[in-house]
Amino acid sequence: MSAARRSKNRLAEKILPTLSIVAFIVAWQLFVDIRHIPPIYLPSPLAIVQALIEMIEDGTLLFNLGATLARILIGFLLAAVIGIIFGIIMGMSRLFERIADPWIAALYPLPKISLIPLLIIWLGTGEAYKIVISAVTAFFPIVMSTYAGVRQVDRGLVKAAEDLGANRRQTQISVVLPGAIPTIFAGLQLGMGVTIILVVAAEMIGGSSNGGMGSLLIQAGQVMETEKVFAALVVLTLMGAVIIKSQQWLDRRLAPWANMS
Amino acid sequence: MNISVENLRQVWEGRNGSEVVALDGFTHTFKSGRFSCILGPSGCGKSTMAQIVGGIETATSGTVTIEGAGVGKKGSASVMVWQSQNLFPWRSVLDNVAFGLEMAGLSRKERSERAQGLINSVGLKGFERHYPSQLSGGMRQRVALARALIMDRPILLMDEPFGALDAQTKIVMQEELMRLFDETKKAVIFVTHSIDEAILLGDEVVVMTARPGRIKEVIPVDLPRPRSIEMVSTPAFGALFDRAFHLIRDEVTKAMQEQNAAAGALA
Repeated sequence: MSAARRSKNRLAEKILPTLSIVAFIVAWQLFVDIRHIPPIYLPSPLAIVQALIEMIEDGTLLFNLGATLARILIGFLLAAVIGIIFGIIMGMSRLFERIADPWIAALYPLPKISLIPLLIIWLGTGEAYKIVISAVTAFFPIVMSTYAGVRQVDRGLVKAAEDLGANRRQTQISVVLPGAIPTIFAGLQLGMGVTIILVVAAEMIGGSSNGGMGSLLIQAGQVMETEKVFAALVVLTLMGAVIIKSQQWLDRRLAPWANMS
Repeated sequence: MNISVENLRQVWEGRNGSEVVALDGFTHTFKSGRFSCILGPSGCGKSTMAQIVGGIETATSGTVTIEGAGVGKKGSASVMVWQSQNLFPWRSVLDNVAFGLEMAGLSRKERSERAQGLINSVGLKGFERHYPSQLSGGMRQRVALARALIMDRPILLMDEPFGALDAQTKIVMQEELMRLFDETKKAVIFVTHSIDEAILLGDEVVVMTARPGRIKEVIPVDLPRPRSIEMVSTPAFGALFDRAFHLIRDEVTKAMQEQNAAAGALA
């Protein structure tokens, strides 16, 4: 294969992902225009962009997105702090493990979203309920992977550390904890994923108090502002992608050794 | 600092309650400043023996007496270099080498200086900031060696340290180890299943029997030091090789027959 042809192939490989999206949007626009689809069912991409610009200009997007992001951040941080602490204690203390094990085993498979009615009874439909439901859901993957990471630490490393004079406490801090970091990060990524889902779901069910992307979606849907629904979905997609990518970037910065081949 | 090992016996309990005698009646004195190679078929308990001397494993019965090591906790007179290196993947080369000093509470400045000295002496200058996963197998084993030598303990235990290296890297590492040994003169207990390696490195070769492991014969190696890889082709080396080879061949055959019998019993 000639060099020119090879570089052409590489170029094609680079632009293909973008090209496929552009082609899809163009086809969508043409389909809506040619077939005269009513915008209530399927608005055109241009109409969606227009709705998006309007939402940015009148401030509804910033307000709702801000509310959702704040809930995600608080719920996730709560789950992360409590989950990691619980996981570490479970992994290091046999006693605590025995006490916590039946609870985790029983509650882990329960779909956390089914707790929403109970939480609304207890906490109302305000901020507390949205944060609690997302934190409770994210807590489980985080605590499980922290526990697994602590338990599955390489025995050889522990033996080596002890041989080099580390006492029990030093071994736990300098070997067991850093050894568990890749598994803990994997749990945090799962936790972030479910936090996003649960915050938006809680906003959809909890009504309009204090906004949020979920309540924006529901309201737009109820009055059949379909282009607003699509605009909100686009924003949610981008938000999720940005959050997950930033988290992966942060993980690589904090533990560069974990991703090396 | 001599190490007297007396009547070591190690029994592992199998899952179904059966017992495996890994080591039985191992008695030997490892002399200070001497390089002792432990040679034996796989599964003969030679690694277990080294780990017991290092206080890493506890023997079922028998005693390990380290002359002059009355104080300090078990294993504090020795340090182990592992076949799998057991480097900490989240620590740079420098921080891996300095690990023992950090645990002992030395200041960052002091431990960095000493670690740098050892990194230089094992030929890893310029790789201080690398992580273990960025190094080749040979380089990782150098880090492991530096991490052990920095402890400056009188006994160096090495459990098949070059077993996983390719042939060329192995030769280079063997020559470096000989140079370092000539400089430091520690008591070295070097576990290997390579006859060449045992004769090339050792002042004595302790040949072990197949499981249960005990000493079959101790071959003194009187090749002059400093040693080099060229000695492998001398008649003196050849004679020692033959002697060790015949001892070990019987044991390997015996070990294989036992494995076959065990496999047959399962089938």
